[in-house]
Amino acid sequence: MKFDQQPDGFVDAVKAVLDGPDFPGSKRRQLIKLLASAGMLSLVPGGASWASDKKIVVCNWGGDMLRAQPVAWGRPFQKATGTRVDYDGTGPSFGKIRTMVESKHVVWDVCDANLAVAYTLGTKGFLEPIDYSIVDRNKVRPGFATEFGVSNFIYSFILAYDKSKFGDHPPRTWADFWNVKEFPGMRSLSARTLGTLEGALMADGVPADASKIYPIDEKRALAKVAELKPHTIYWHTSSESQQLLRQGQVSMAMIYSTRAVPLRKEPGSTFDFTWNQGIVIPAGWVVPKGNPAGKEVFKFLAFTQKPETQLEMLRLVGAGPANPATNAIVPPELQRDNPASEENFRQQIMADPVWVGKNQDRIYHDYIKVISG
Amino acid sequence: MPRISLPLALAAPAVILIGAMFCLPVLQILALSFTEPRIGLENYVALATDPLYLHIIATTLRICAWTTLVAVVLGYVVAYVMANVTDRIRGWMMIFLLVPFWLSVLVRAFAWSFLLTRNGFVNATLMTLGIISQPLHLLYTETGVIIGMIHYMLPYAVLPMLTTMVGIDKSLVVAARSLGAGPVRTFLRVWLPLSLPGVMAAIVLVFIMSLGFFITPALLGGGKTVMIAQYIQFGISETMNWGVAAAFATALLVAVMLSLVLASRTMRIKNLFGAT
Repeated sequence: MKFDQQPDGFVDAVKAVLDGPDFPGSKRRQLIKLLASAGMLSLVPGGASWASDKKIVVCNWGGDMLRAQPVAWGRPFQKATGTRVDYDGTGPSFGKIRTMVESKHVVWDVCDANLAVAYTLGTKGFLEPIDYSIVDRNKVRPGFATEFGVSNFIYSFILAYDKSKFGDHPPRTWADFWNVKEFPGMRSLSARTLGTLEGALMADGVPADASKIYPIDEKRALAKVAELKPHTIYWHTSSESQQLLRQGQVSMAMIYSTRAVPLRKEPGSTFDFTWNQGIVIPAGWVVPKGNPAGKEVFKFLAFTQKPETQLEMLRLVGAGPANPATNAIVPPELQRDNPASEENFRQQIMADPVWVGKNQDRIYHDYIKVISG
Repeated sequence: MPRISLPLALAAPAVILIGAMFCLPVLQILALSFTEPRIGLENYVALATDPLYLHIIATTLRICAWTTLVAVVLGYVVAYVMANVTDRIRGWMMIFLLVPFWLSVLVRAFAWSFLLTRNGFVNATLMTLGIISQPLHLLYTETGVIIGMIHYMLPYAVLPMLTTMVGIDKSLVVAARSLGAGPVRTFLRVWLPLSLPGVMAAIVLVFIMSLGFFITPALLGGGKTVMIAQYIQFGISETMNWGVAAAFATALLVAVMLSLVLASRTMRIKNLFGAT
């Protein structure tokens, strides 16, 4: 059902006024603003793009990202090209992207997701393929540029812990994480599978090497998750994962590196984390099928690959540069918290987006069975 | 020309609005459960056979049953007291009952997540009183979820019972006592039967509302307690499993309707919604 359809006569009238020779630009903008505030912009053919000539709407997950991305990527792009970049922090979930595309009412031009999501949604026909004549494949690491997604930054699932509980003998590996005898206390793992299964396999003795971990031996990984379950609280949101540590509910948690860094820097913090055996997740841009700005959006994506903008994201929120060339300009004081620094990257394994994308839904089902059973 | 009755005409805009904005989308969701990913009944077969879905249904029913039982029993005591005190005191009690009632469910769940920690208020009190020697695991367990839900549901249990009890003719109690019945007998033979319609209304209301609970189990369950509403959210927004999520939503709707039908056999439905 469409509510935005008005009699054609009305649309024509608006169009005639806007296109008319004696209609000054300032009045035109006023009228468009008025229509926009009445939620009627979409009824003007091509109306959205008239508002400031060109506009790109980016959807991300809010929080720090909503504060940082406009600073690093939005405003600089606008300054360089004149195309406005608007941010929506409500979270580009599978469901929302699918609903938008199916109802042919797409309002987002690009979503901050990850390469596994790119695979899942892309192969089901909900995404535009990335235009690699505009976006540069070679400005990301190998495997970071796929048909329907290109990595914008990386983050990791790492082992964060409460120093005050372990003194001189802090946990260093996922085997330590699973060892509740030697390292007492409750644990927290994500309520989703990403990262958790990889960590479980490493805890079970699989070498920290992506080629040994993938394809994931699901039974083995889930059995290991089940083993730790009596000692585990599962977090749903990343702020919950921090809160569990702060409240002393858990002594260790597998959390995002972008959450562990600020946790360590809090005044009076007793928390630290290790990059060792971290699981690197390539975050990535995906473009919903039929996005309003069309090809224009790929210019924005190409812009976000620039090392200076990538460095800004590292500085602001600890997002690891997806473009390896950025490392050359990262100041030494930022390298410690950079998931993509040579030293940190070496200690970690990279999640396989294709395997995750192919298997995620099925494994989710089995995972919930294990953690809620 | 036939004349349309005025009440009907006045109601028409609301009916049309609700029909278009609410009923149609609901029907679309229901349709999804038969068409996604293929046309057929496979989603319902899955609900009835898949161990995970059966487990989620069982968890939901168990939590709802406990919540309803405890909330109605506790609520009955509160309603009984409120029905038998002076208006002034009842007014004060009403304030204490309604203030938490107006707090958002999110705020209340957060409050409980502090109260129920290992060294939180609840464990500390119980240990000081010598009732327990070790802190109980309350937060991030099913018990914690049930405690949080009972707290939320208590006003919903008290209000319909209070309405019924206030309406009970007190002279009947006096008559029973003067005819030689003791306090227990008076309560069991006079008060309790007269208050039963309110009890039924409370049971139906609390049970139906508990079925669709989302925030409390999500915040107090630690990921280990998964109720139907949580699975629906998860199935729709985080996976492509829309068919099963829609089937769950349909099942919830049917369960609510059935509860109302069953309830309508023992009571007048409009009592439930406060009409007299």
